[in-house]
This record gives sequence, C-alpha cells and structure tokens, in this order.
Amino acid sequence: MGYENVLWKLQGDKVLESINAGKRLDARKFDEYRKIEIRKDISHLAEATTQVKLGNTEVICGIKLEIGVPYPDSPEEGSMSTSVELLPLASPEFESGPPSENAIEIGRVVDRSIREGGCLDFKDLFVEEGKSWIAFIDFYPINYDGNLFDACSIAGMSALLNAKIPKLEDGVIVRGEWKGKLKLKNHAVLNSFAKIGNSIVADPSIAEEKALTSRIHISFNSDGNLNAFQKGGPGSLTANELDQAIDTGLKNSKHLIKIIEESSE
Amino acid sequence: MKEKEAEYVNREGKRLDGRKVNELRAIKIEVGVIPSAAGSCYLEWGYNKVIAAVQGPREVLPRHMADPYKAIIRYTYRMATFSVSERKNPKPGKRDIEISMVSAKALEKAAFLEKFPNTAIDVFVQVLDSNAGTRIAALTAASVAMADAGIPMKDLVSGTAVGRAGGKLMIDLTKEEEDAPDAVDAALAILPNSEEIVLLQMDGIISPKEWREALKMGIEGSKKVYEFQKEALKKKYSGDK
Amino acid sequence: MDKAIEVKSMHAVHAGKEAEKEEEFNAESSQSELNEKEKKIVVPGELLTDKKKRLGEHVYLREGKIFSDSLGFVSESEAFISVVPLQGVYTPRAGDVVVGIISDEKHNGYLVDINSFYANFILKSSRGPVLKLNAVVSAKVFKVSELNEADLGQVRQFYGGEILRVSPVKVPRIIGKNNSMLEVLRNGTNSNIMVGRNGYVWIKDGNAALAVKAIKKIEMEAHLSNLTNRINDFLIENKEVNK
Repeated sequence: MGYENVLWKLQGDKVLESINAGKRLDARKFDEYRKIEIRKDISHLAEATTQVKLGNTEVICGIKLEIGVPYPDSPEEGSMSTSVELLPLASPEFESGPPSENAIEIGRVVDRSIREGGCLDFKDLFVEEGKSWIAFIDFYPINYDGNLFDACSIAGMSALLNAKIPKLEDGVIVRGEWKGKLKLKNHAVLNSFAKIGNSIVADPSIAEEKALTSRIHISFNSDGNLNAFQKGGPGSLTANELDQAIDTGLKNSKHLIKIIEESSE
Repeated sequence: MKEKEAEYVNREGKRLDGRKVNELRAIKIEVGVIPSAAGSCYLEWGYNKVIAAVQGPREVLPRHMADPYKAIIRYTYRMATFSVSERKNPKPGKRDIEISMVSAKALEKAAFLEKFPNTAIDVFVQVLDSNAGTRIAALTAASVAMADAGIPMKDLVSGTAVGRAGGKLMIDLTKEEEDAPDAVDAALAILPNSEEIVLLQMDGIISPKEWREALKMGIEGSKKVYEFQKEALKKKYSGDK
Repeated sequence: MDKAIEVKSMHAVHAGKEAEKEEEFNAESSQSELNEKEKKIVVPGELLTDKKKRLGEHVYLREGKIFSDSLGFVSESEAFISVVPLQGVYTPRAGDVVVGIISDEKHNGYLVDINSFYANFILKSSRGPVLKLNAVVSAKVFKVSELNEADLGQVRQFYGGEILRVSPVKVPRIIGKNNSMLEVLRNGTNSNIMVGRNGYVWIKDGNAALAVKAIKKIEMEAHLSNLTNRINDFLIENKEVNK
C-alpha cells in the first residue's frame, strides 16, 4: 500500500467525468503541454546538467562521461547508459530502495528515444584501442506531478546538446578540464499520452495518470520520423487512437525540439 | 615551514579563495521548493548544492519499526552521480549510510519526537553539486525543511566544518584545504541557542589545546549559519503581501 | 531528560479548567483579525520572553525563558503566550468534526484518510451508511488514543462535489470568528461548503471553482490583515468567472 495519496485517486474520478464532458481539470486543450522551463549548469563537476520544469513536474538530468572498454561486438565504438532514480523526495508515493519497475521503465523508454533516435554518434565516442567514452545519462525527479517520461526526455536531450567532453592527457581524464562539445547526429523527444475514457490527452498530469486506462509514449526525431513506441497501462488502444496520438505528437514534438534547441544557445 | 603556511593563508590573512579564517563561503537558502513535500529546502553553500525534503510525521512502514513513545527519524543522504568529479555509483555506499545515521541523530536531538508517537519523519537530502562540507550543507538544509514542514523543534540544527590547513585553524574548508598535508577536518553541528553539539566527526591530528580553539571558531561559525536559516524561513512568509 | 520534563510541563498545563481557557485563547488569537501591525514571525528555538507567562501551544520553557518550537506567529497577552504555526500535520482532538475519504474497506469496517498521521478506522454498523472506496464523509472525533488514533463516529456521507486540501493550521481563518469568513464564502459563491478541522474541505454546487480559488487565497494570505473584507471584494470582482 505504501504512501499512496488518496486525494489524487479521488481526483482521478473527477478527471474521467470532466474528460467525458470535453474538459481537462486544468483547462488545457487535449493536445496542449504545460509550461516548460529549462535551466542549465546545476553541477560544476558534470559534463552537463539541466533542470526541467514541465508544469510542476521537475527533473534534473546530469551527464558524466567516463572512459571504459568498448563492447567486444563494437570494438571501435563508445556507449551510453541511462538511469532514473525515483527519489522519495519527489513524491510521497516514491519509496526508498533500489529502482522500482516504474523507474526502470522510464529509464529504458527515455534511453530508447535517444539511442534509436540516432542522437549519439557512437563511433565518435571511440578514443583509442581498448578505450572509449561511456555517456552516463542520469535522471533525478525533484517533484512529481505527472509525465516524468517527457520531462526526462526534454532534460536529457537538452543536457546532451550542452555536454562538453573531458580533457584527456595520455588517455587519462584530467578532472575539472574540458575540451570540445559532444557532437549529436539527431535530436529526439518523447511525447506521452493518456487514454481516458475514449479520449487521448497529451502531457498527462498526475490526476490524469490516475484516471487513465492506457498510456502511449512515442519518440519523434528532428526528421519527423518515429523512432520508439511504448504502451503502458492495463487497457488497450485502437489503431485510430494511436494515429491520433501520432498526429498530435508530430506537431508537438517539433515545438518541443525547438524549445530544447533554444536552451543550448 | 613558513612556505607551507603561506600556501593556505597568506600574510594578509587571506585564504586561497580570499576568505578570512573565520569566514563562511556564500550561502543561499530557499524554503518550500517542492510542492509535494510537507517541507523542503534548496541550499547553496560555496559550490555545494543540496535539496532536502521532509515527509510526515506519517505511519511507519514496516510497522514493526515504529516506536510507541515517539516518532523515529529516517534520514537518507545521497549524492547524485554527477555531483562529484568521477561519476558516483547510484547505489548508496558506506559513507552515505554513515552520514545518514549521524545526521538522523542530530535531528532527533532537536525535534520534539514525543509529540508524534508511532510515526516516522522521513528526511531526504540529495546532493547535486559538491566541494567539501556536503554533509553539513545537507543537515543545514534538512533542519530548515523540518521547520517548513511544521515539525516542532527545540531549535534548528546549524553547523560548519572546522579544521586546520597550512598550520592555521579555519572554518568551512574547501576541497583544496582538506587536501593540505597537515589538514584536520571536522564536521560540527549544534543547536545554536544552547550550543549543544549534536553532530561531530573528525579526521586528522590535532592537540587538545588547538581543538578547543577550533571548537570555539566552529560554534561561532555555526551561529552565523543559523542567521541565514532564520532569515530564509521568515522571508518565505513575510515577503508576500 | 530535560526535554521530557519540558514536554510534560506543557501537557500538565493543558489538563484542567485552565486548559479550556487557554484553548479559547488560542482559538481566538488564530481566528481573530490581525491588527494593522503585523505579528512577529519566529522560528524554532527563538527566544520569546523571559517573563513569567502561562505556556500555550508551541512554546517551551528552558532556564526560566520561553522559546518557540515552530515557525509561526507569536500570540501574546499579559498571562499567556503561544505560537500559531504556519504549517503542521493535523493532530486529532476530541470534539473535532473532520472530513474524510474512504481509503480502504475491511470486513468489519473502513479505513478513512483524515489527512493525519495515519488512516483511521470506522466500524461498519447496521445503522450507518454503506460506504465504498473514495466516498467522502464527515465524522466527529470522539476519543483520541495516546498514539493519536482517532475514534470516529456520527458518520455522514456526502455525494458529488470535490475535495480541497488546505493546511490544517489555516482552518480557523477559513471558518473565521463566529463563522464570519465561511459566511462570506458561502454567500459569494452559493456553494455548499463543509470545512473539516483536519484541512479537507468539501465543496459542491454554486461557483465551486471560485470557492476553491478564494480558499486558496485565504491560505496564502492567512497571516495578513483585513482578510475577510479582501476575500469579500475578491468574490464580488470574480462573480462572473464561471468554470
């Protein structure tokens, strides 16, 4: 049972009523995102850090580059690794301990969005024989008010755009010094939707997440292509509903990617 | 010998970053930054950045850990992977667990735990950026978050590092000063109005006489930190009209 | 050891008739309109006075001096001193009427979330309402155990409407002296409003959205003066704004 907030569940009932009547509780349109704020440079020791507010949902992303041994099946490439830790400080619903299945799901979906979106050039992360860069992309929610998926995706993409590369001397990292920026091949962002009743709404709030029967997360890259899907929740989706989400996502993702790109200027 | 001393505190009494030996780094405190927490605090101290949240007093799960006579404090100190030079493994290490333990004890001394029997007060502190003194920065933020949550306390908990570098006693050491060959580094936290010591840890070699002087400096420094905490808490409510 | 004695002396003061007078004093001071002069905000551990006064809530005695134990406003008279905190979890008191949400059903009763330390228990009774998950109820607190568990009775169910959660320490301001603020809210919105002492507020019909806005405004400005008039003006100005 844990510390589930009964008040949010109660709001969930109200949400269904309201959506069936054509309205969202916070008066947004069905395809509308909450206000997005992006700030940079939280840690002076990281290769990049960003803090994103999506409505009241707040996430901090940090990127660290470390030297590692390339995988045997890709000896001249670097790699990336993503993690999400649902800190109890972000919500009374999150408990202490090893990553829950929710944390793992968010991490893996955000990872797929970046990886399959072709954002990183892994060949570019190769250093020399037996050495390549591993890009660690770590997410820490600071306040949970719905849609951690997109908040993390925006924070991650924005951090990647700002990431600098640690200075190397004789194959060893010189801590506290950097040389050059991380090169990206593409930009990608997640768009998340909740199915509530028979409607599809974008950027679900926490109450809407309590009311949904299905959720769908779609990753779009800057070319306007789809590069990842994830369906969650106990309910089902029709092909029509999926189409709706894709159409809305095509519009919104362009706008989100623009905001992300502007944050790195 | 004289050369070594000049490295950390010069003839004008200035340290490597320009501070005097009894001067604190810049501190900035914001109260009530996490809407879903009962109380919260964001704190910057030199390069240190920490965020603290308090939940509760609330039911203890698992139930067998509850104390029928008073609240228990569960303190979780963690550092973000990107808060240190080399990426930190997200799994908590022994240092994290030790710091969590001594910090919980410090807050227990300050709070009126008997008012909330059978419950837990959960304190979470995340370090986002660091340069020495993180456990004290964390505890300073945590005690502000407790006050923000409305947990009745005898006093706030305020502290500072105190120690020696290059032969000179000083408060609030930076990482560079901690690395001095003759460094002594102690973490100190007190209840400022009674000067009771509620957290004390130390590394290094120091004579009892030198220590007594250092402690005096540490207590004075901690009281200065208290003024920042007090101001930040009052500002949250008197600022808006 | 010191701390245990200090806490006991506070509780000793609460026993007996003096406690009643004091409860009244505390209720008065938290409900009453503040003077034009802003009241003093204090933090935990701050020295209030070294004069001899009766200890009210959220203050403690040490070496002949009186200190605050909370972040809040000082409320002082010739004889009493207390601090009205700005935040805090709801501690059930016998006689309180609370608003609750059914959070679980057991075979012999229900668990009710009353915004306190833990969920409280209501026995199923043949005369009482049949409740389901997420139902909204009001209940009276009859007894409170040493562990702050409340015995709830006189359960009534509310249908429809919505629940707003406010900080329990602000409830006296939302009700006002002799229900003055509550009347202003009801008249200005035509809504049914039930304010639980525990910080859950049930609102139905009328301009419920406006009622929610107004109550949130009271919460934010609870410590400022002339609040009843300003809320009245706020409601008149925004009368036309409907959901």
